[in-house]
Amino acid sequence: MRALLILLLMACPALAQSAPVKVGCLFPLSGSGGLYGRDSTVAIDMAVDWLATQEGYPELQVDVQDSRSKTLRSLQIARRFVEEDSVDFLCGVVSSSVALTVSEYARKSQTFFIGTDHASPTLVGAARHPWYFRVNNDARQSMRAGAKYIAEHYKRGAPLRVAFIGPDYDYGYQSWDDIRRFLDEEGVAYTPVSAYWPKLFDTDYSLYINALMQDAPDILVNAHWGLDLVAFVRQADQLGLFQNMQFMNFDAGGNYEILADLGEDMPEGLILSARHHVNWPDTRHNAQFVKEFYARTGRYPSYAAAGAWSGMIAIATAVRQAGGTRDTAALRLALKHLQLKLPEDPEGFSSRMDPTSHQMLQVQAIGRTLPNPDFAPATMMLGDISVYPPPDIWPAD
Amino acid sequence: MLTAVAIAVDGLGFAAWLFLSSVGLTLIYGVMRILNIAHGGFYALGAYASAWAIGLYVQTGNPVALSYLIIPVMAVIAGTVAGLLIERGVLRFMYGRDEVLMVLVTYALFLILEDVTKLIWGTDSYVAWQPAYALGTVDIMGIPYTVYKLAIIGVAVICGGSLWWGLTHTRVGKLLLVVIEDREVAGALGINVTKFFTVTFLIGATLGALGGALTAPEISVVPGIGAEVIVMAFAVIVIGGMGSIPGAVIGALIVGFARATSVHLYPPAELFSIYLVMAAVLAVKPYGLFALSEGRKI
Repeated sequence: MRALLILLLMACPALAQSAPVKVGCLFPLSGSGGLYGRDSTVAIDMAVDWLATQEGYPELQVDVQDSRSKTLRSLQIARRFVEEDSVDFLCGVVSSSVALTVSEYARKSQTFFIGTDHASPTLVGAARHPWYFRVNNDARQSMRAGAKYIAEHYKRGAPLRVAFIGPDYDYGYQSWDDIRRFLDEEGVAYTPVSAYWPKLFDTDYSLYINALMQDAPDILVNAHWGLDLVAFVRQADQLGLFQNMQFMNFDAGGNYEILADLGEDMPEGLILSARHHVNWPDTRHNAQFVKEFYARTGRYPSYAAAGAWSGMIAIATAVRQAGGTRDTAALRLALKHLQLKLPEDPEGFSSRMDPTSHQMLQVQAIGRTLPNPDFAPATMMLGDISVYPPPDIWPAD
Repeated sequence: MLTAVAIAVDGLGFAAWLFLSSVGLTLIYGVMRILNIAHGGFYALGAYASAWAIGLYVQTGNPVALSYLIIPVMAVIAGTVAGLLIERGVLRFMYGRDEVLMVLVTYALFLILEDVTKLIWGTDSYVAWQPAYALGTVDIMGIPYTVYKLAIIGVAVICGGSLWWGLTHTRVGKLLLVVIEDREVAGALGINVTKFFTVTFLIGATLGALGGALTAPEISVVPGIGAEVIVMAFAVIVIGGMGSIPGAVIGALIVGFARATSVHLYPPAELFSIYLVMAAVLAVKPYGLFALSEGRKI
């Protein structure tokens, strides 16, 4: 049945709509997450330009507003997009807590919201609704791959001592719940020794680092992202944490901007992953995406750029398959069964939407930081990569 | 035992930072009766100025050893310039107004300072790790601790000691205590209260900037750091008693040790523990532990 639906959608009915598709995007363009918003804006421009050269895709008219990662401000922007600008789609949002609010508004206003960046499983779990779709891997898939990595690489008799540190909000809590759930599913013998919850955008982690050193775990699973992670790694390195335990961050630790920000201060041997890697997969599509971004900005893209690119391609593809934006049922059906070839997809694999959860299913690549001078200012890149395909369906609660 | 040492070391380090971040706030309140929310802006200005200058200095190949001088210099420049502009340009026209109005005015000034930092330094993060890295770490009974953090504890002790000595052993300090006690009587005695206000505000602003400048080498300096610090600083001075410098010391120690104890023994209660302690202190002493006595107006 599913295959039939996909075949029907792939038939690509002629685009019945000549007016541009209006998309309202919310990204932080300033503050802690500003880089993600600015990279997303570049990728949106790239996607719009690319779509304009392709036959049969609608024209996208995209407005990007600075959410500053503030919930109330984001809600006001979303309202303005829908009630004044009459957008067909909302998109973007970096912070999961902000995304939950925007998603709830999308549900009430019956506007499609395409998540391109945030990663809390709650959005496609407890808070799921028919108007929300996410085109980037979520933290649950990262944790699932992480548990598989631990199961594969840490086979031993005595139970592993596992500690956790992550930000004090939904994303952090979900990550800790998920890594334990998947370690259990993989049959890994482990003991959770401690969990720490510094507030989001904290600046001094020395207190937690000292506490972790005393706990002496074998593995520290970290769920920080952005500048929080940069600050944590610098402080932990200075206090010698990495000599005492194996540091792992399966969702955002291997993002290029982290590797670039830390530069020569990035230690070797950390186990990290990301939703997009500039040096993996070694495909023409990914190389072209990275090259084009570099040509436009003079720097390599953060993971957020790939998410924004995916969002635009997803919207254009769904509108094309639905024949326009008027028939929301057809549009939803197209989004539910999206199958896209994206820069982060290795050869022989395409990202696909899980029709039940509305979560895109993608491959997760986990690697170890190794010296690599090819992507300056980063001096370490992920190597020794292990690849984990997604499950057939998104793992619900 | 190790946990107790870790709590002591971490608590003291956090308390030192809290004291440096809040002592200027309590000084300004004590003398001027202004609950200065713009204090967070001074902290941010000091942090940005210091991180920017250190980055510039180190990138041009200069020795790290001299970069430590940049920290107080930038704090003094940031605190003096911003403090003077705000006190002379805005606050002096509003002395004697209702305290609530002054809170609103300083809140507006805080928002302006936030935007000023963005206009000057943009929205990207600034890092100036070299001074903190260069000092390395030291082992305190099995707990690794950065020497830079120990230096911050030292600076906090020097600042607190200097303020105490200045207030109790110098003529200017004693006159300032009179202003703190009763500004009307001080004026009647011939003390130039307005001049004391200006000097106090400049000292308070510089102390706020110094807190930020000293912290800059340990953190990523990003927009919004001023808002975070002001909340903690308020908790400290409310516990200690608004306007009291010994109160700021005790308040910082209480909050510092409450947080360190919570993180080491029961991490989920970290933030809760700070406000629990604050509520407990205020339940017993509603004006804080070292609240200044209020004269009864007839």
